[in-house]
Order: sequence, then structure tokens, then C-alpha cells
Amino acid sequence: MLSRRWMMAAVLGMATLAMLSGCKKKTTGGPGTGEGSLGGIKGGDITDGSLNTRPGDGSLETRGQFVPVYFEYDSAQVQAGERAKLEAVSANLKQNSAGGVIVEGHCDERGSREYNLALGERRAMAVRAYLVGLGLDGARIQTKSFGKEKSVALGHDEESWSKNRRAEFVLFK
Amino acid sequence: MMTDISSGQSGQSIQGWETRGEPWPRIWKTGLALLLAALSAAPAQVRVQKTAGQKSALDCAGFAATSSGAGAEFRRTLQEDLARSGWFVPAAPGRGEYALVGTAGGGGAEVTAQVQFSSAAQRQLLLSKQYRAPVGDARRMAHRVADEILVAIGRKGLFSARIAMIGTRSGSKELYVGDLDGGNLSQITSDRSISVAPHWGPDGNLITYTSYVRRYPDVYLINLASGHRRVLANYPGLNAGGAISPDGQSVALILSKDGSQGLYIRPLHGGAPVRITDAQRAALASPCWAPDGRQIVYVSDQSGTCRPQLYTISRSGGAPRRLTSRGPQNVAPHWGANGLIAYASLMGRFQISVLDPVTLDNKVISSGDGDYEDPSWAPDGRHIVCSRTVNYRSQIYLLDTLGDPPVALTTNPGDWYSPSVTAK
Repeated sequence: MLSRRWMMAAVLGMATLAMLSGCKKKTTGGPGTGEGSLGGIKGGDITDGSLNTRPGDGSLETRGQFVPVYFEYDSAQVQAGERAKLEAVSANLKQNSAGGVIVEGHCDERGSREYNLALGERRAMAVRAYLVGLGLDGARIQTKSFGKEKSVALGHDEESWSKNRRAEFVLFK
Repeated sequence: MMTDISSGQSGQSIQGWETRGEPWPRIWKTGLALLLAALSAAPAQVRVQKTAGQKSALDCAGFAATSSGAGAEFRRTLQEDLARSGWFVPAAPGRGEYALVGTAGGGGAEVTAQVQFSSAAQRQLLLSKQYRAPVGDARRMAHRVADEILVAIGRKGLFSARIAMIGTRSGSKELYVGDLDGGNLSQITSDRSISVAPHWGPDGNLITYTSYVRRYPDVYLINLASGHRRVLANYPGLNAGGAISPDGQSVALILSKDGSQGLYIRPLHGGAPVRITDAQRAALASPCWAPDGRQIVYVSDQSGTCRPQLYTISRSGGAPRRLTSRGPQNVAPHWGANGLIAYASLMGRFQISVLDPVTLDNKVISSGDGDYEDPSWAPDGRHIVCSRTVNYRSQIYLLDTLGDPPVALTTNPGDWYSPSVTAK
């Protein structure tokens, strides 16, 4: 039953893409630029299918090369102002064909720990879907949620919360 | 690193045996005298106590203990438990509806107690036993006696239960297990990683939780008795929500391996996870089985991000049923053996509510300062253990659904949260 749903979803998705590419002639350069078809923006964090097997033991990971992507309080969607950051990640990965990226999803300190674990994963998956939309192979993108367990700003106000609602990028070889 | 578990379990070494019918002439005479005294003076007082919350007056004046050491600790713990049970109030000597008489003392390596518990109203000896345990188990022995007294008055015990929780005392988020009164705390993990959301299996020996000890959020299974830990789920993406079914055969999991979050069920000891939820655009959390194992309650934000609500679904899948609609966030459900679901509801602050999943009637249990979260039913079906966060510091509390004030169970340094109580 599920697989039939998946097929239907896939067919609908392709039909949508076809329609969009049909009427939005102004969009430049394939999937990832027409807003309606982009993963990660309208909560479409499922368009890119299953996750690949996890990368090695962490010894070949590097972090800090990319600026984190930030989220609104009640959102797992990639905001328009954050998209340039993802284009930088995508460009880097396209230049280096080896390895891939782990997208770490984080939340602010408010609310249930278990729900935040799920929300962080949705944020990571929205970023992954956006990167796939930019033409990256989904098999090179892992997601990892930390929920609200790993804050970077320790205050208890919106200034800190807005810094904690983020996705970070870790490259792996 | 994977076998650093010290369970601290010692309850099995407590011995107790019936002494009814054995010769206890002096104590029995004292008890009888107290009973008769209680009978002649008690009725008016009892009536008042009953209307003030179903509490019975309990006379403990006839229970003697050594003034210090294990005997005193036993007596203090037993009296504290009986007061916290919510079914007793202290009575003036000779004026109780119930009377507790006996002795407790420590002799070298052992603590011993003789306990007679009787009903003045029915002129009946309800419990008469001797107990013996290693001196370090005085508190656990008292918990057991308290539970046996509760059963003797037709209630359910709760003080022999144990709480699994997360504590930050060491500087990282580790798993701890303690008694229902917060005592006898032992640190289970020493990973210097992040531990999240422990949940007991039905037998009170297995614990599932999510840990980053291998860098990713994976679900682990700890066997406290054997001290072993193994990975239950380490699929790509999120692994969370490990909840063992009441029959101990299956585990519910929240996984994202297929590209969207789903609720999955898998045999506990291996096999392929089967997805039972269809929603593709939702964050899912906190699965918990119904007592009969036929349904699961869980959290989903399919109605809106940061608006998580409670849903139930059959273990074989199908359409979920939404249980909550009032308030922006209704989270962290725990389905008690009494059939009621305790959960945390955001009403400015988080408060604990109790919901009847059949009628959807609900009642707010907690009140006052702070956020009350992550409720877990105690085995008596009356009390709820939860975390309370005030000024960004969290401690574990015992709530009473019948209105007694909350009791802090932890007062230790560090934060203590995400409690899960054993079924017994």
C-alpha cells in the first residue's frame, strides 16, 4: 500500500515538475530554481527518497566551512534569505566529487525534547531536499538531528533562540 | 565503554515473611489495646478526614525504631511513603482508623522490621510480617512494606517502582535510575555523549533510549540485570522513540530512513521495521503503547510545524485519530495501565493533563510556577512523575491526580528530566 502511495506521489511530483517547467519559462537552470518545485521550501522534504548508508567513523569529517542556515520559530522551511548559503554548499560539493555532507538540524530550547528531535530532523531534511533540488545527488547528503540538545547560544531570549534554530554542515570524505 | 552499567539493584535481597498466627503476645496486646482505643474515639475524626480527600487517619505511634541508623531510616522512609501515597493522614495516638505497630532496628549488616498493620474500624489485622535486608537496603525495604500496606487497604502500591531519567550532574547528559522517592540514585551510562528520553520496557529491566554515543541519534536497549547494552536501531537519519510493547515482543520507533519521518513497528529482537503512518510531511515523536498493545499514541505536527498534537493509530496502521485540539502544543503522552493518557500541554507554560482516549475528556493536573513536562504514570494509577523546570533548572516531581501538592523527588545539583517509571 505504501509503495503504491510512493509511486503516486512520484507521478504527481513529476507531473507538477512538468507543469512548472512548462509555464515558468523564466526560471533559470532546471530544478532548484522554480520556487513551486523546490524541495525544502513548502515542507516538501520527501521528494528525494531514502537516505544512503551512513559515512565512516567520523575521522574524515570537517566542520565550519559553511555558514549555518537559520529557521523561523514555527518552520522547517528554508527561508528565501538563506538560499545563497545552500548554493555555496552545493557548488563546493559539485566541485569535489568525493564524499558528501552531513546536515545537522537543531532547534531552540523551547518545548518537548522528543518533538524537537523530530523537528530538527525535518529541518535537516528540508535542507537536504533543497540541495537535491540544486542538483546534488541525495546519496551524498546525510541528515542528523540534535533537537534542542546542542545549543550554540545559551541565552533564554529570541536573540539566542534564533541562533539555535539552524542547520549546520559537516563535510565527509 | 559499552559495559559500564552498574545497576545498583538490590531489591531481590529483601526478605519478608508472614507472621500472622505466630506468637507475638506483647505486641499483639499493645495492638489490641490501640485498636480498642481507636474504636472508642475515632469515628467523628474519620468522617472529617474522608470528606477532606478520601484519606484515612493512620496511627503510627506504636511503631518503634532505633533512634538512628538503618532502623530509623526504615521508619522515616515508611512514614514518608505512607504520607505521599495520598491515602493517609497522621492520627493522634490511639485515634487512627488504621494502626501501624511494630519495631525496626539494625543489627550489624542487617536491618530487620516487624510490622503489624491493622484496621481499627474492622478490628482486623491486615498485615503481619517480618522483614530482613542488608543494612544498605533499609529504604527499599520500607518501600516494599509501604506498598504491601497499600495493597492491604485495597489500593495499589507505587514505591517499589523505579525511575529512569536523564541527569546532567556529571556535566553531560547521562542516564540514571533511582527509586520512586528519588533515592538510591545510580548512574547507568558514562558516555560523555548525549542521552535522550529513556523508556522502560514492561518488565522493569529493559530500558530503551536515544544516544549519540556513536555520533548519530540511535536507539539503544539496556538490560539492567545483565549490564549489557546493544543498538536497537541505527538506520540512516533519525532513530528515536524506542517504545517496547506491553507483551515485550515489539518495539515502536520513529525513523526517517525512507526520506520522511514515520512511525514503525519491529520485532524487538530483529526483523524489518514496518511503517504504520502515512503522513509524509510531519515531525513525529513519543510513541507509547496502549495497555492492551493494540494502539499507539504519538505526537505529530502534521497540522502545522511547532503545533504538535496527540494522535492514536492502530498497531496495524490505518487512519490516525487526533486526540487533542486545544492549545498549540500537546506532547509527551504516556498511556497508563489505568487507560488514561497523561501528557504535557502548552498553556503559556507547560502543564500536565490527563486525557480519557475514549471520551476525550481531559483534566489539567498541575498548576503554578514553571513548566511541567514528560509525565509518566506511577503504578498506582493515581500519581504521575514528571519534570518541572523553574528558571531553566529542571527537577523530577511527583504529582497527585487527586489533588495533594507536588513533591520534589530530586534536589541534586544539575538538571534532572525525562523521567520514565516502571510498570510495577
